[in-house]
Amino acid sequence: MKTFFNLLKINLNLNFGISAMKYRFTKEKKRLWEPILIGLCVIIGLGVMTAMLGFVMYAIFFMGRQLNKPEMVLTVSVLAGQLLILFFGILYVMSSFYFSQDLNILIPLPLKPSQVLGSKFAVVMINEYLTLIPVLLPAVVIYGVGMRMGFLYWIKGLLVFLAIPVIPLILGSILIMILMRFINFRKSKDLLAVIGGILGVVISLGVNFFVQSFPKGSEEELIGNFLTERLDIIEMIGQRFPPSIWATYALSRPGLEGFGYLALFLGISVVLFAALMWLGNQIFYKSVLSGQEVSRKHKVLSREEVDRKYVRASSAVTALFWREWKIFIRTPIYFMNGIVGMIVAPVAMLLPIFANSEIDKQEMFAFIQNPDYVLPVSLVGLAIMFFTSSMNIVASTSLSREGQMFWISKMIPVHPKEQVAAKLIHGTVIQSIGILVTAVVFALLTKISFLRMIVLILLGIIGTVALVAVNLLVDVLRPKLDWKNPQEAVKSNMNSLLGMLATFAILGVLSAVAVAMVLIGLPHWLVYLLLGVLMAVFSVSVTIGLFAVSEYKYARIEI
Amino acid sequence: MVIIKGLSKGYNKGSVKAVDNLDLHVRPGEIFGFLGPNGAGKTTTIKVMVGLINPDSGSITINGYDMARQPLEVKKCIGYVPDNPDIYEKLTGMEYLKFMADVYRVPSNVRKERIEYYLEMFGLTNAASDLIKSYSHGMKQKIALIGAIIHDPALWILDEPMVGLDPKSAHQLKELMRQHCDKGNTVFFSTHVLEVAEKLCDRLAIINKGKLVAIGTMDELRKGDQADSLENIFLELTE
Repeated sequence: MKTFFNLLKINLNLNFGISAMKYRFTKEKKRLWEPILIGLCVIIGLGVMTAMLGFVMYAIFFMGRQLNKPEMVLTVSVLAGQLLILFFGILYVMSSFYFSQDLNILIPLPLKPSQVLGSKFAVVMINEYLTLIPVLLPAVVIYGVGMRMGFLYWIKGLLVFLAIPVIPLILGSILIMILMRFINFRKSKDLLAVIGGILGVVISLGVNFFVQSFPKGSEEELIGNFLTERLDIIEMIGQRFPPSIWATYALSRPGLEGFGYLALFLGISVVLFAALMWLGNQIFYKSVLSGQEVSRKHKVLSREEVDRKYVRASSAVTALFWREWKIFIRTPIYFMNGIVGMIVAPVAMLLPIFANSEIDKQEMFAFIQNPDYVLPVSLVGLAIMFFTSSMNIVASTSLSREGQMFWISKMIPVHPKEQVAAKLIHGTVIQSIGILVTAVVFALLTKISFLRMIVLILLGIIGTVALVAVNLLVDVLRPKLDWKNPQEAVKSNMNSLLGMLATFAILGVLSAVAVAMVLIGLPHWLVYLLLGVLMAVFSVSVTIGLFAVSEYKYARIEI
Repeated sequence: MVIIKGLSKGYNKGSVKAVDNLDLHVRPGEIFGFLGPNGAGKTTTIKVMVGLINPDSGSITINGYDMARQPLEVKKCIGYVPDNPDIYEKLTGMEYLKFMADVYRVPSNVRKERIEYYLEMFGLTNAASDLIKSYSHGMKQKIALIGAIIHDPALWILDEPMVGLDPKSAHQLKELMRQHCDKGNTVFFSTHVLEVAEKLCDRLAIINKGKLVAIGTMDELRKGDQADSLENIFLELTE
C-alpha cells in the first residue's frame, strides 16, 4: 500500500507539475506571472461555467418541483456528469495508460501492474473532478438548499461527488484495456488522433445544427418543454444505467433508505474497482506491450527515386519551408489545430444560416445583390476570411514547435532572416488555404461576382502576410521550447492566445478603417485599393520588424 | 583550428559556474579528446563552441573566424552531433539528409555520392525511407552524424559520439575520425570511455568543475611514468 501511495504521489507531482513549479518559483524565477495567470484563468473559467450551468440546473429544479419530481435535477446532473466522465475518461485513460512516456520506466520496476494502473487511474480521476465541479456542484447545492436538507445530506453529497467518476471511469478503462489487448492502436496512433479530432468537430457541428433548429423561446420554457417531453427518456436512461438513480436516491431519500442507496452506490464502485485491479494484473502489461512494437516499412528507395527527390539541390529557404510543411502535416495535433479549423469554421458559420427556418433565403440573396449593400457585404466576407483563416496556431507557435530540435536551427549556417522567411511563407501558404475555402463558401452563399471574389482573395492574402508576421513575432519574442510532447507546444503555449489577441486587435482596426471608408461613401474600387495599399504597407513594415527582431533573438535563445 | 580564450559560463544568474576561465588550443590535423567527470562542464563548453549558448565572457575562434562576430562562417566549417540528438522524427532519414545538404549548400553531384557512401557504411540504406521516429537510439545517432558531416566540414565536434553505437558502427566512426584528421582536418570530441580516448586521441584535455586541469598528449599527461594509465591519471586529477 505504501508503494502505491508513493507512486501516486509521484504521478500527482508530475501531473500538476508541482516540483517544476517549485523550481520555477524558488530557483529559476523566470516569468512567474505565467502560472499565476493560467491558474486565475482556470478558476475564472470554472467559475463562469459553474454559474452558467447553475442557472440551467435551477431551471430544471424549478420545473422538476412543479412536476413533483424535485430530485430530477440530481438525476440529470449525475447522468450528465457520468456521461461526460465516460467520454473524456476514455480519452484520458487511453493517453495515460497507453501513450504516456513513463511506462518505459515503470514497467521494469518491481511493481504490480495493478499498482501502476491504480495510481494512473487515481490521477485521471482527480483530474476528472475539475470536469465534474460545474456539472454536479450546482445541482447538489440547489437541491440541498431548495429542499432545506439537513447536515447528513451534505455529507452524503460529498461522498457521492467523490465517488461519481469511479464507475464510468472503470467502465471506460476496462473497455480500453480489452480493446488494446487485441488491437494495435499505437501503430495507427496518428490516424486515430485525426479521426478522433474530426469526430469531435462533427459532433460539435451536429450539436450546433440541432440547437439552431430548436424553436426559439426563453431558456426556462425550453428546458421545461424539453423536460416534460424527455422525462421518460431520462428515466429510461437512468434505469439502463442504475448507478445514476442510486446516487440520486442516496441524496434524496430520507433516513435509512438513503443510506441504503449510498451503500449500494459506494459498494458497487468498490467491487468494480477491485475487478479493475484484478483485470489490471491479468492483462494491463500484456496490452501495453502488445502495442509497443514499432513497425517499419523498409521500403528500399530506387536509384531514380533518390535522384529525383533527394539529390536535386534546393535553396535554404525552400528546404526550411518543406521541413516546416512536412512536420506540420505529419503531426496530428498541429494539423488539427492548424488546418482542420479553418476548413470547418466557414461551414460551421454557414450551417446555422441554412438550418434556420426563419431566414428567408430568397430575401437574403436579394439583399446581398442590391448595389447599395454589395460593398459592405463583400467587406464582411473579407473579415470572415481573415477571421477563419487566422484563428489558429500555425504562426504563433512556429518557433515553439521546434522544441528541443531548435539546436538544428541554431547550428545550420542559415541567417535567422531566411529561417523566419521560410516560416512566414509556410504560415501564409497555410492561411491562404483558409482564405480560399472561406472565399468559395462565401461565393456560393452570396453569389457575388467573380471579379469581386478575386479582389477579395488578393486582399485576403496581402493582409494574411501581416497577420502571420505579427503572430510569428510573438513566438520569436518568447518561444516555448521546453516541451516533451507536441501537444504542449501548441495547447499549453500562451503564444497561441497572445497571437489570437494580436490578430483580433489588427482585425478590429482594419474593420474600423473599412467601415469609415464605406460611411464616407468612397467608390468601391478606391475602397479596395486603399485597403490593399494599407495592408501591403503594414505587411512590409511588420515583416521588416520581424526580420530585425529574429536576428537579435535567434542569437540569444539558448538551448 | 580552435582557440578558446578565457571562456566562462554560469547558470542561475552566475551562481553556478559551469565553465570557469577556460583556455584551449586545438591544432589542425589532430583528434582532440575532451574528458571530465559528470557535470564538469564538457557539454557546456561544446555548446558554447558551436553557438548553442552564449558565453558570459571569453572568445572562441574557429578556423580563423570569431564566433561572436562571424557565426555563420564558423557554422559552415563545423559539423556537430550532440550527446542525445533530438532530430526531426516526422521526417524520413532521407528527407533529413536532403534538408541538411540543402542548408549546408552541398552541390547535387557531391551529395549523392556522400549520402550513398555514409548510408551504406552505417547500414542505414534500407531504413532511409522510414520516418526517423521508428529508428533506434543508435540509428538516430548515426543519421544525425551523417547529417552533420555531409558538407565535409573541417572541424567535427562530437559530444559523446560512441554512446548508443554498436561495436561495428563505433569502429567505423573511429576509422572515419582518423581518416578525417589524416587529411589535415580536426575532430574534437568528449567521451567517458577512457580506453577509446587513450588509443584514439592525439591530444587530450581533462576538465573538472569548469576548470582545465590537464592538457597534452598521453606521454605528456603521464609525465614520464610510462606505466600510468589514463584511468589513473583521470582519477587522480578529478578527485
